[in-house]
This record gives sequence, C-alpha cells and structure tokens, in this order.
Amino acid sequence: MASTELLIIDGHLDMAANALALRRDLTQPVQVLREREGGIRRRSGHKDSLERRQGPLIPAQGPATVALPEMRAGRVGIMVSTLMCRVQASGPDTTHAARTREAAYAVARSHLAYYQALVRQGEISWIRDIPELEACLRAWENPSLQTPVGLILSMESADPILGPEQVPEWYEAGLRSVSLTHFGSNTYGHGTGTRGGLFPSAYPLMDALRKVGIVLDLTHAAELAFWQILDYWDGPVHASHCNCRALVPGQRHLSDEMVRAIAGRCGVIGMVFAEAMLNPAWVWEEPVTQRPTASRSMSAVVEHVDHICQLVGNTDHVALGTDLDGGFGRDLAPTDLDTIADLQKFVGILRSRGYREEDVRKIAHGNLIHFFHQAWEHTP
Amino acid sequence: MTTSLLLVDSHLDLAFDAIQLKRDLTASVASVRAHDPEPVIRSFGTCTVTFPELRKGGVGLVFGTVMTRIDPNDAWTATGMYTQSQCYGIGVGHLAYYQAMERAGVLRFIRTGAELDGHVTEWERDPETTPIGLVLTMESADSILGPECVPEWHAAGLRMVSIAHYGVSSYAHGTGTEGGLLPRAKPLLEALKAHRIILDVTHFADQAFWEALEVFDGRVAASHHNCRALVPGQRQLSDEMIRAIVEREGVIGVALDAWMLDPKWQRELPGCEQLAHVTLDAVADHVDHIAQIAGSARHCGIGSDLDGGYGQEQAPRDVNTISDLQRLAGILEGRGYTPADIRGIFSGNWISLLKKAWGEGE
Repeated sequence: MASTELLIIDGHLDMAANALALRRDLTQPVQVLREREGGIRRRSGHKDSLERRQGPLIPAQGPATVALPEMRAGRVGIMVSTLMCRVQASGPDTTHAARTREAAYAVARSHLAYYQALVRQGEISWIRDIPELEACLRAWENPSLQTPVGLILSMESADPILGPEQVPEWYEAGLRSVSLTHFGSNTYGHGTGTRGGLFPSAYPLMDALRKVGIVLDLTHAAELAFWQILDYWDGPVHASHCNCRALVPGQRHLSDEMVRAIAGRCGVIGMVFAEAMLNPAWVWEEPVTQRPTASRSMSAVVEHVDHICQLVGNTDHVALGTDLDGGFGRDLAPTDLDTIADLQKFVGILRSRGYREEDVRKIAHGNLIHFFHQAWEHTP
Repeated sequence: MTTSLLLVDSHLDLAFDAIQLKRDLTASVASVRAHDPEPVIRSFGTCTVTFPELRKGGVGLVFGTVMTRIDPNDAWTATGMYTQSQCYGIGVGHLAYYQAMERAGVLRFIRTGAELDGHVTEWERDPETTPIGLVLTMESADSILGPECVPEWHAAGLRMVSIAHYGVSSYAHGTGTEGGLLPRAKPLLEALKAHRIILDVTHFADQAFWEALEVFDGRVAASHHNCRALVPGQRQLSDEMIRAIVEREGVIGVALDAWMLDPKWQRELPGCEQLAHVTLDAVADHVDHIAQIAGSARHCGIGSDLDGGYGQEQAPRDVNTISDLQRLAGILEGRGYTPADIRGIFSGNWISLLKKAWGEGE
C-alpha cells in the first residue's frame, strides 16, 4: 500500500441490508454486483421452473459502490454497520420498513446472522471492546488482501428491540450504537420527516442502553426528539451520518446549535456522501427538487467538515459516515466517487485544502477510534 | 367454530409472508388484503392466511418454514440469493419471527412428544386462546451452512427439512431441474438423521428423490405434494414415489396450489389474471389417490402451502381463506371416509409421524 494511504473508518454503512434486501454478495467486487443488477436475466427452459412465473421486477437501487474488496483496496478497514429495519406502514419507499415490531426484530436478526456468517468466513471481524479494536488496528497497519474488515455493530431505529429487557441480549450479540428513530414515526419516537418527540417507552429503553454501555446515535431524531434525548441521556452520543443545516437546509441535517451540543458532549459527527445531503436545492419533502444524478463532488463534503471545525474551534468532532449504498447508488454519490475505495481521494482533498496531517488522520479514523475507546473504557 | 376438527397444516411460509411480503399476520385476512400494495398482490396473490384465520379454521398446529434459497436467476420474487451466507441471514430472520410470535403468545414451538401431547390436549380443551402450535421446518437447506450447523438449527427447534427447492440448491437438484444429490448432501443427510430430523422429499428432482431415499434411512415425508397421475409434471409425485413414501411410513400433505391441482392452469400468466377451474373436490381426489395406493388413509395429510407464493386466485375456487379447509371433512365423508380416517388426515397422521420420528411413538 502507498504510504500516503491512511486507515479510514466509515461510521455508517448498511452492509447487511444491501446483502439481504438487494441480494448483494458483498464478498464480490463492485463490478460484479453492477453486472448482476444490470445484466439480462437468464431464463430456464424447464417447464416446471419457477422462472416461468411472471411478476414485476423489483426496481434496483442505483449502481453499487460498496463491497468488501473495494473497502480493502481503499483501506477502509473499519466500519460501523447497521441492523436496519424500522416499523412503518407500507408505501412506495418502504423497502427497509416492516409492518410490525416482530417483523422488524426478525429482519434485524437476519442482518446480525449475515454478519456472523461473514465473520465465520473471515471476511469481517468483530470490534466489541478495546482489545478487539486494538487488534483490528494492528491488523490494518500492514494489511493484506485478506485482512478482515472490522465491524462495530449499530442499529438504525430501535424498533427491533422488543423491550428494555431485551437490551442485554442485543449487547451480547455485539450491538454498540443505537439510533432510536429513522424515517417516519417509529416505535420509540419521531424520526426524520415528522414533527414530535420521544414516546414514553423511549425512556426505559435509554436506561437499559445506558446500563450495558451502548452509545446513542442522534441521527434521524426529529427536532424535539433530539433535544429530549440530550436532556435525559447522560451517556456518550454521536451523529453517525449527518451534515450541516447551515449549508443544506432541512430537518435531516444538524443545526449549528445541535453541532455545538454534540461537540460539547464529546461526540463525533460523520459526514454523509449523498447528493441529497450535499445539494442545498434538494428538499426531502419536495420530489421536484430532487435530481436523478449527482451534481456535487467530494469538495462539497469538505465544506461541511470546515463548517463544523470552524463552529467548534477544532478538528476533534468530525468523522466519516458516508452512508454509501444507503438507499442510493453511484448515481447520487459525489461525482468524483466511483466506489468506496475513492474515499482515499477524499483524504487527498482534505490535505490539499490545507488540513494538517494530524487533523486529516483524526477525520479519517482518529476521532471515531477515540470516541469508542472512551465509551468502552467507561463501560460499567 | 367449536365443532372444528383439529387440523395440522404441514406447509405454510408464514415467516416469509410476514417479513418479505410485510404482512401483519396477527390481523384479519380482510385487513391484510386492504394493506397489501399492488405489486405484492400481483406477484403473490390475495392473502388467505393469517393467525386469526388459522384459529377460525381449527388449524391448531402448523409446520412453519424457514424459506430461503440460492437462486440468482430469481427474477420473479427477487428473493433468491447468491451465497449461503445470505441464506443463513434470511433463514435466521424467519426463525426469529417465529420466536417473536412465541414471545407475543401467538405461537408455541413444538419440539418433543410431550410438548405435542400437551398442546393437542390444551387446544382441544381451549381452541379460543391456546397459542397455535408450530413445528419448525425448512424449505431448501441453503441456510444450513454445513453439517456442523445442524445441531444449532435442531436446538432452535428445526424438525423437518427439504434440502432442495426450486433450482439447484447447495445440496441437491430441485424442481425445474434434472439431476441428483450433490456431493455435500450426504454428510448433511447424516447429520439430519443423527438429530432425528425428518427429510421432506418435496421439491426434489426425480433423480435426487430416489438417491435421497437410498442414502437417508431416517423418517421421510412429503410436506406439500400432489399426484402426478392426476396432474402431470415433475412437481408432483409419481405413483411409484407415493408407494416408496408409504413403505417408509411417511405422510404426504396435499397442497392447494392450482398449478398442482388444475391441469389447465397457465403458469405463464400471473395468478391474479386467471381463475382456477378446480374446487376442494380436486384436493379430495389427490387424498383419495394416495389412499387407494396405500390401501388406507394413514399416509394422507394436508400441507396446503396457502400464501406460499400464490393467493386466493390460485387456490380452489371455493376457498376464500385457510379456514375453508374445514369443508374437506364433509367432502371426504361424502366419499365414504370414516370419522377416524378424517381425523387421521386432518391431524392424526402427522402427529403420529412426529412422535415416531422423535422416538416416542408406538
């Protein structure tokens, strides 16, 4: 590996959802995934073949950008990756939603089982405590093409947790970060696109999360829910994948006040590499404002990095949480990004913008390592 | 409702319907029909199975599947996977759904003869509130990563497995293909036998069917299978196959899919654009064909497979929901079946096979 390549930690990926809902075999190179999704499907000649039954094709997400070989090629050696299934009524855009909490629980278990199978194959490795974190960092000092990618397990919307009494079971399974909500109004509170706060069940859940040492992810909390969480919760917080409202308007992004609050709690904010989060003209609620292809390059991400650093006066609270392939593909990722391996280019852009090497390292991996290190050091 | 006979349905894809089709199975069929988006109805048909409807139909024991397979060319449902790791993920998700429903008091896992006896007694006394019994089964063994994983699945409650499904699984040729067992089948079958797990021969390609019977000397059954003599096609059992299952003291659950009941069914058309010509009488024909070959009704059961990739349109035209299965009792009675025969077909034959398989019968 070139000496200029830094270890990169991606603080938010939906690997299992891509593998199971979109049928992506993430051990294959991105090019193979694109060919499978774009190619013409073969049809069996056997008269009893299932392929002779007709039905609508499930529309594909945009071209894939994330797979394990590209992560290794781009030295993205550690990921925070999700169990993701929220409860929401069926609609045109609810691929990753379930109708009931029991189904959400089942989907999250399926995501967990997929990660377990990848661990078993040696494709990824668990990071659940400080010794495992340090072992993974050592492995990535001199990586090979087989080095397992480290996994810190997160959950996007807490709907799969059927009650506070189930939290120890999830912790035992490896879960280390939870966002209470996602899109819509979910089991524990209001999320993106809605107005409102937490539901009463969120408080005993937070107590249970705090007790085992799981951190809270503020991403996707509706305005009121965000402040209710900070009022109640005294443990570590981060925003795994959020950009700045000062640059791109909309509830999905963090206001300056929120950025300051997270920094004040020693939290870290992960930058999202999505057109919807980088283009000020894009309004979540108004489809006419939404472009079919990206217009922004990775320089636009640096603007958000700059904004946060200026606001809080240092580089300690910024990280990456790209969300690549999180509901969009290459078509809506930054224009100069083809696969996740191109995150190394982003490191170069930071350098060219005048960030010192020490700061670049913090953004690429140091701040997230420090965050989880701190959180786990104080785990009861 | 209190006069309903206890019914065992030996093949329902409940977890798939709840998770992949996003149906709330605790709701009424009418509610699910109202909530299903158009693409689901077009691909999977109109809902006929939910928990309240099972209770209404006296279906107190179901064989609920873990159902996922390797099938990269699955353009129809887009749920066929590329690797066993993916299948393991989906499979554990199905298991977890049943566990969550047990936690909610809707289902109850049945894993031993004692649990089975207790359940049947309780259900017959109180069919209104007793949880529905669940025997965990698996359609295509792709989510078993290898023979060393069989103990884990057995401990989770798995009691019957078909190692093939559509296409070629990791272990064997299945429906729509020609061929036998694959090299990895033998150690898997040995592990299944060692755990007293029943081999479900449904969905084997012909060659694989005969090879499996030769290799596997544990209990066998056909969870959802009709007769080739009445409806041509590889998906159905030949008379010779039926005889082989009977000789091994197996049970055959007859299925309600019009594709397996109605020779005029057009597979190339979506189910929602046609109407089955058959009624429940056709189901009785298949029961009768098996009984005539076996010389008794002791090898017949019901494995409706309702909502297993098809809906009301593709079921017998006099079936609105799964509760209509109860009407088979009258039809069989009209054909001269005794009350004891009918009880056997509805539940007794499957119950006695389970007990024998678990070493607790006879």
